[in-house]
Amino acid sequence: MNIQLTKNSLATKVSLIIGVLGLALSLLGFFANHEQFFYSWLVAFAFWMSIALGGLFFVLIHHLSGAVWSVVLRRFPESFMAILPFMAIFFFPIALGLYDLYHWAHADAIAHDALLQEKAPYLNIVFFILRTVFFFIVWSVFGRLFYRFSIKNDVTGDAGYITKAKKISPPAVILFAFTVTFAAFDWLMSLDPHWYSTIFGVYYFAGSTMATYAITTLFVLYFAKGPLANMVSVEHYHDLGKLIFTFTIFWAYMTFSQYFLIWYANIPEETVWFAHRWHGSWKVVTLVLAVGHFVLPFFIMLVRAVKRNPLALTIFALWMLLMHFIDIFWLVMPNLHKEGAVFSWMDATTMIGIGGLFLWLVFLHLSKHSLVPINDPQLQNSIHHTG
Amino acid sequence: MASQAEPLILGHPTFRTITDDVSQLTERKTPLPWYFLFAMAVSLALLLFGMLAYLFIEGVGVWGVNIPIAWGWAIINFVFWVGIGHAGTLISAILFLLRQKWRTSINRFAEAMTIFAVICALIFPSVHVGRIWLVYWLFPYPNQMAMWPNFRSPLEWDIFAVFTYFVVSAMFWFVGLVPDLATLRDRAKNLRRKKIFGFLALGWRGGNRQWKHYELAYLLLAGLSTPLVLSVHSVVSTDFATSQLPGWHTTIFPPYFVAGAVFSGFAMVTTLAIIVRRVFHIEHIITLKHLENMAKVMLATSLMVGYAYSVEFFIAWYSGNMYERFVFINRALGPYAWGYWTMITCNVLVPQLFWFKKLRTSIPVLFIATIFINIGMWFERFVIIVSSLSQDFLPSSWAYYRPTWGDILTFIGSFGLFFSLFLLFVRFLPIVAMAEVKGVLPEANPHYENKGEHS
Repeated sequence: MNIQLTKNSLATKVSLIIGVLGLALSLLGFFANHEQFFYSWLVAFAFWMSIALGGLFFVLIHHLSGAVWSVVLRRFPESFMAILPFMAIFFFPIALGLYDLYHWAHADAIAHDALLQEKAPYLNIVFFILRTVFFFIVWSVFGRLFYRFSIKNDVTGDAGYITKAKKISPPAVILFAFTVTFAAFDWLMSLDPHWYSTIFGVYYFAGSTMATYAITTLFVLYFAKGPLANMVSVEHYHDLGKLIFTFTIFWAYMTFSQYFLIWYANIPEETVWFAHRWHGSWKVVTLVLAVGHFVLPFFIMLVRAVKRNPLALTIFALWMLLMHFIDIFWLVMPNLHKEGAVFSWMDATTMIGIGGLFLWLVFLHLSKHSLVPINDPQLQNSIHHTG
Repeated sequence: MASQAEPLILGHPTFRTITDDVSQLTERKTPLPWYFLFAMAVSLALLLFGMLAYLFIEGVGVWGVNIPIAWGWAIINFVFWVGIGHAGTLISAILFLLRQKWRTSINRFAEAMTIFAVICALIFPSVHVGRIWLVYWLFPYPNQMAMWPNFRSPLEWDIFAVFTYFVVSAMFWFVGLVPDLATLRDRAKNLRRKKIFGFLALGWRGGNRQWKHYELAYLLLAGLSTPLVLSVHSVVSTDFATSQLPGWHTTIFPPYFVAGAVFSGFAMVTTLAIIVRRVFHIEHIITLKHLENMAKVMLATSLMVGYAYSVEFFIAWYSGNMYERFVFINRALGPYAWGYWTMITCNVLVPQLFWFKKLRTSIPVLFIATIFINIGMWFERFVIIVSSLSQDFLPSSWAYYRPTWGDILTFIGSFGLFFSLFLLFVRFLPIVAMAEVKGVLPEANPHYENKGEHS
């Protein structure tokens, strides 16, 4: 049994070309308006990082829970997490744009701001960079390690690698939880350096995991027409649909907890964050997010038939990815465009640029090895999984 | 999937032996130790009622509450018992939706425990103002005095959330009981048993159509209960988190409280399961595998709670807010530091034992660890409530909080009520869901072939 993506497939080439074009256009944007460029870049970076990290989480939970159903589609999230070390490259523009992005990076601002002085031991450029370096080391080590286990199991047929993955997954999940939390605090929450919310890390995680299940669903549905035709069934679609649904609700639970408690207590230093997002046309984005990221998907995805219909599921997964983008856009952009929502062409080019290269790297990884973990002892059970 | 998996029930039981093993517990003559235990539990329950009477006569002055600690043990005990009441519905609803078949052995008594814990919990908000004759003020009844409950108060939401949870959990529990009650009716040797169980079994005959309806009803109830598992403790957390008090007002409270509730509930289920399986000789039905799975859930939820403790601490510093910082440093190093470190030890350190298979499959270790977790989770509420209130914004009113004997005996008494109800349950109702356990036996698989291993 050998199910492999052909080398230099059309998808690989197209994503490389699109990615390079997107990056080239974004570079033009840098010269046109560097502040907009850095903010757009941060949105795109946080979006694609969330998929890569979500891939790591998928694999960790798969091993941790001893899941069977997801064996056949595990290679997709595995290739998302395998490119975590390469994702570090996309952090460089942020490191260069710290001054434009983060108010706490301004020495003159700190001098006049007692709160920022209090936070300076944490919010300073050197420590910020060191933390991100540390996060990437942790993620790259686990991403590559679990990828290696899976590939070794493919090549050698030794099921011991799966056992090893199972053994390492619990401590890896703990490190994952803390690194992702602090990454969300650093990259996104500290954009508004006075504001704080304990749930913020879980909030970013919830949306990221939802998006990862959505993009995994798209990969599965795409390959189900070709090489995976006899391997994945409607039961797998159904389970993926249920997971997107679950994490959509989980995201709403986190979002609502954060909003509701801040609204109710009505402490100005906290409510200001929502006030920015309720100002001018940002109000529309907030409402789109509430309806589009929760209310509509909740009622539509509740229907069993939607989760079992490939076309409906494709539309739904794409919609949720769009909503995840809007979510991150909504977290980041009110710090730049305070008067109202502005969608810049750079938001599109950075998303396409990083996204194209992300997909190119994923396809490269997929074409090097079998599309399914052929020697996983549970593969047959996963294929014949009946829900 | 089930082909290579370990069997969930040990000792090659048949449908017949499962029915016998579980039913005979309710049919035999009441064992003597039961009377002894029941007498003890009822005495403690009487102590509770006595303490409540004392409270109603004297007023809340019999407790150690005072300004600024206006919320003392009553709300600690309330949150403690509601938290314990989370495991049952989690096991029966969420694990059902997740198709975790191992739940069948433990769901019945976990659900029963849930209902009894919620009963204990509901006592405290009902009596906490000491004026039981005004308890109806909690409910939005049509009233000419224009005295409406304050719908904007999270304490009012508590009443709705916990009552809804109680009603749905009780309904869920009863629906699950129906087929087993019919089994007891059919086995009844005297008319009285036949009449009582016949009444409760609602005319169950076990027909194909009845099973079809039953399974659909069970699925729907599971779906309805699932959001309730999350909502109840989320609402409980808003009692604190909607305020502006440092240490209470923090956005992670809802999921953090839910994780803590599941944690404490599983600890209580495990403690009780260890006793029940031993006393009633059902070790082949509630196997070590079940206990191990529960230990894993406890480890996971312990880590979540530990995550919340650390993030709260970090954000208190990161906020730059001097009051936030003070509260958290005061928790760890102030006058109630002993409570804080008890909480950390019991909730975060002790469960780390469950990383090791040897320890999480050892009955004595599990038993002791789960008791530690229960203690730790009580202290978690103590730390949250007392340490945040006692040193508030007015240093002139700072004082060390001490419970009175009234506080302590009321709390001890609530265990009496809990165990009285639990003992009645284990005596008179099937403590294991027989019909569901039969469903996970290999014989229930349509492809099952008996390879000559007659048992």
